[in-house]
Amino acid sequence: MAIGVITVDRSQKAGVLPLLQGHWVTLRIFLKTLFLRKASTIQYPEETRPVSSRYRGIHVLTEREDGTPKCVACFMCATVCPAECIYIESGERPETTIEKYPTRFEIDLLRCVYCGFCVDACPEEAIIMSRENDLVGTTRAELVIDRDRLMARGKLVEHGPGYRPVDHDVRRPVRIAALERLKAEHGIVPGMPKTRG
Amino acid sequence: MPKCTIDGREIEVAPGTNVLKAALDNGIHIQHFCWHPDLAVDGNCRTCMVEVEKMAKLQIACNTVVSEGMVVRTTSPKAVDAQRSALEFLLVNHPIDCPVCDQAGECYLQDNYMRYGLYDSKVELEDKVRKRKVVDLGSIMLDAERCVLCSRCLRFESEVTGTNSFEFVNRGDRVQIATFENRKITHDYAGNLADVCPVGALLSHDFRFKMRVWFLKAHESVCPGCSTGCNVFVDERDGEVERLRPRRNVDVNKSWMCDPGRALYKEIGVTSRVSGARERGGTTWEGVSVPAALDRVATALKEAGSDSAFLASPQGTNEDVFAFKALADAVSGKLDFRVGDPEKKVRERIDKVLQRADRNPNTQGCLDQGIGRDGVAAILASCRGGRVKALVLQGPELLRVPEAVDALATVPFVAVMATHEGPELDRARVVLPAALWAETEGTYTNYQRRVQRLKAAVPAPGDALPRWELAAGVLDRLGRPLGATAPREIFALVAKATPGYSGLDHRAIGASGRALPLVGDAGTAQEARA
Repeated sequence: MAIGVITVDRSQKAGVLPLLQGHWVTLRIFLKTLFLRKASTIQYPEETRPVSSRYRGIHVLTEREDGTPKCVACFMCATVCPAECIYIESGERPETTIEKYPTRFEIDLLRCVYCGFCVDACPEEAIIMSRENDLVGTTRAELVIDRDRLMARGKLVEHGPGYRPVDHDVRRPVRIAALERLKAEHGIVPGMPKTRG
Repeated sequence: MPKCTIDGREIEVAPGTNVLKAALDNGIHIQHFCWHPDLAVDGNCRTCMVEVEKMAKLQIACNTVVSEGMVVRTTSPKAVDAQRSALEFLLVNHPIDCPVCDQAGECYLQDNYMRYGLYDSKVELEDKVRKRKVVDLGSIMLDAERCVLCSRCLRFESEVTGTNSFEFVNRGDRVQIATFENRKITHDYAGNLADVCPVGALLSHDFRFKMRVWFLKAHESVCPGCSTGCNVFVDERDGEVERLRPRRNVDVNKSWMCDPGRALYKEIGVTSRVSGARERGGTTWEGVSVPAALDRVATALKEAGSDSAFLASPQGTNEDVFAFKALADAVSGKLDFRVGDPEKKVRERIDKVLQRADRNPNTQGCLDQGIGRDGVAAILASCRGGRVKALVLQGPELLRVPEAVDALATVPFVAVMATHEGPELDRARVVLPAALWAETEGTYTNYQRRVQRLKAAVPAPGDALPRWELAAGVLDRLGRPLGATAPREIFALVAKATPGYSGLDHRAIGASGRALPLVGDAGTAQEARA
């Protein structure tokens, strides 16, 4: 007998009992939904499924306290991006302490594969991801979002931030080592980052 | 020829060679900052420490001359430890602002840290000594914090340009480089300071924040700015040239090039390029396809026959010029190229470093191929006498000469191959779009009679074609095909037809060019090689 072939015993006939068992499942769910309001489905779009705090949705450019972008236009995200969907042009900031900032920062959301590498690569935590996944537009050009729209998204996010380089991230061994040292030497344990909204 | 052993490999070098150069030339990498192949040895960075047998202490490889039977170890634990420690010293006060530093990607500190360092810093960022940042020195930006005090810029200024602009100021960990009273660098070789700087302390103002260097693709080429023919890299991304930088060639430009030459990339991607053929009917220009324009030129040349004149351009490659000469010969027209007498200035220096008075890259090539045949004055005289029915120009040089305007007005048909738009093009009848030097394969012959190759780095805009291809197109229409369809094949014909070029081909010329003996004045030859 070849591997993977299942021999079904045809000597037993399908009885009435399995049929009734199947009907009972349907009836049980029906009654539960009708009287206990415990539906297995959700009423999208009024209701949405909760997503992980590390969900990789549409990007957000974070800002400094003065409202300017945190980004220093180092091009790390554009370099690491496997979809090559990030376009940056850099310019000079008047302050000599920061020097560089993006005059243009565009992400082609249709081309993006939402891998989150840009977030990992960013040395400034200037780009993070939100939990938002509604990507709707009437033209393609509308879904290439520019610097100002990416920055404005920080205030608009309804579901809180998604994937960002947080301290408990297991993929950041250097960060973890630093945290352990902080705990051992100073007894400080940084908490979870506060979520927005 | 002393023989030494470096890391178990027996290496034979010229007498007087230092250990660092011997190792680098043989593919053994030793980290270094202050040593530069075209500058004097200084030995101040102490990062190239190696262990030499029978020497009590570690030696710096850059200032240790190879002697017979010397045994050098670059990777022994003692040497590696010293190299790491020296690197750590250089990084003590380094601000680590790589994300905003343009040197990132071609920085000695980054490369050597990844290769030799990889330790955790013992100095907190807040404790580092702060120095001056973003100091504008004209075409150069100074960031004293990033400096590793290697003194390469000081030595460049004293040995190459003789201007001595930089000096170390202050002492101890507060020492930094500065110019007197923050004066700007005004000489024509400032761009080299950014190149010699192994870190991001001196950076080009022009290239500032423009592009991360790892996106760039380098193409070997030759600067078209003057008859010196400095070897360059054309750095390009997605068909857009972002910068030119010198390519080391000991016999021509060493590691240097001038700032006017560096700025030449700017004329490649401009919107004022001629990207399509056009023809003037009466007073207005009308765009036509390149084949239609070539038809028109061929018809005019057929009608004119030997009543035609051709002016080649010393901006063209040897291949361009050869095809153009073949075109002139096909109708036995008059031929020359010496608009503005470039041949008299080809070896004339205008400074003590690189630049020459002849601003054409291929005057010598034109002379070698015998393009200077009938004389520009004689051609203009024929024009005035109404004996020229068709004039074909390989470049717009003649159209810009005010004395030639009346002569050109008498010629019924003037065709010009042009790269850039300009008011002078209105004096022509047909304008053919020509590719620029960075968009075409070919060779230039410089003032030393050194044949050097340039490779196409970016595509030509629109319908623009290399000048040889335009000439070959007309030749086809005249029923006299050139017999070659690529620069490589044309050069084979050049080599056959030109005295002294026999045996040369693109492969033999290679990356650093091939020098031919200078005929004529031996004194000039001596001066030229110096």
